[in-house]
Amino acid sequence: MIKVSGLKKSFGKANILNGINAEIAKGEVVVVIGPSGSGKSTFLRCLNLLESPTGGEIEYEGKLLTDRRVNINELRQSMGMVFQQFNLFPHKTVLENVTLAPIKVQNMPKAEAEKIGLELLRRVGLEEKRDAYPNRLSGGQKQRVAIARALAMRPHVMLFDEPTSALDPEMVGEVLDVMKALAKEGMTMVIVTHEMGFAREVGDRLLFIDGGQIVEQGAPRDVFANPQHPRTKEFLSKVL
Amino acid sequence: MTAMELAYHWDFSFLNEYGSYYWTGIRMTLEVSLLAVLSGLVLGTLVSFLRLSGLWPLRLIGSVYVEIIRGTPLIVQLFLFNYGLPIFLGFDIGIFTAAYLALTINSAAYIAEIMRAGIQAVDKGQMEAARSLGMSRSLAMRQIILPQAFKNVLPALGNEFVVVVKESSVLSVIGFAELTYQANSIRGATFISLEPMLVSALIYFVLIFTMSKLLGIGERRLKASD
Repeated sequence: MIKVSGLKKSFGKANILNGINAEIAKGEVVVVIGPSGSGKSTFLRCLNLLESPTGGEIEYEGKLLTDRRVNINELRQSMGMVFQQFNLFPHKTVLENVTLAPIKVQNMPKAEAEKIGLELLRRVGLEEKRDAYPNRLSGGQKQRVAIARALAMRPHVMLFDEPTSALDPEMVGEVLDVMKALAKEGMTMVIVTHEMGFAREVGDRLLFIDGGQIVEQGAPRDVFANPQHPRTKEFLSKVL
Repeated sequence: MTAMELAYHWDFSFLNEYGSYYWTGIRMTLEVSLLAVLSGLVLGTLVSFLRLSGLWPLRLIGSVYVEIIRGTPLIVQLFLFNYGLPIFLGFDIGIFTAAYLALTINSAAYIAEIMRAGIQAVDKGQMEAARSLGMSRSLAMRQIILPQAFKNVLPALGNEFVVVVKESSVLSVIGFAELTYQANSIRGATFISLEPMLVSALIYFVLIFTMSKLLGIGERRLKASD
């Protein structure tokens, strides 16, 4: 579904990604771990071109994303993204947050968008908050709304950029539960995370990124139990 | 103090005969100021887009506009518009248009800077979230960034309106019949030098004080919805 080859990204003189090759299959849940500053978030943000790569290619559903002629706005509609800082629209209610893009981007009739939106809010357990503004929500609730907002565009793949890193510990569970349910339904997901337990439980495949490269990958259970590369060993010994 | 000063005889009798001058003046002052701020808001927002553009020629145009307008006095701009534009265009534009244009173009430069700061103050995650949902840059700007930026800068815009109301007194020099012009006319007609201006000062103060209070109330309302 997504094929990344030789992906490079540098900011000025700093090389963040040094040639990443990866493939993500339909229905697969790929978790990305690595030390801070390793480039894992940059890798994820390159997948929907929030960061434009300085080299290499990204193919998505048979289209070359890194081709300048490609209509990125159209392709992004089928790639949901969830941010560490939620980035809900503070001037819109919870329901408006969820329905805005379907109405304005996909020209969906308002009634239909609201029906779908409410259904999604019910799924993340926040239907009763439909008319609240984001600043009335807890961090966990905000992130669940953000997930519903991304799902409203009926994405083919969901990208999660450290979705629980900004949450108080007691709220991490509610967000992970929503993500687990999504994974169970067969959603293709790429998740940058520090939640090792979650990565082990939900991930089909784990990528360990360090120094802008994929150092090691495999089934999460195997990598956690028996890391091959010294840098993976060192990292896991610190976080597990 | 001399005896003569102490003996100054206050004379407000002109108010009976010339009171209507002030009403016309108030109307003209408010009309041109409100129009100028509203058009200035549109123009200023467009200029702020130029200033924030990714293309350097556009940024340059925006900067040149802002720097030139901010770097020259309003009264000079006013003369240039009033006497220069008819020559340049080849037809008379009328005093109201000249006054309105000068005030708008002047105000837009300041509003552009206000809007630029307001847009830049919106968290960049907002644009990213909007773009990640497939919105184009301009749709995201209209739906997500500008409403938040506008709310951020409302106090500053209110302040700009107050400034424009006061600055509009300069328009009197080209014969635009706003409040200061009217007060001056009364001075000329009655040979009373001080009192007509004193009355106009009082009117300006009441206008602006009322506006500040109203803006304060509006601001508090907005905060309450946060």
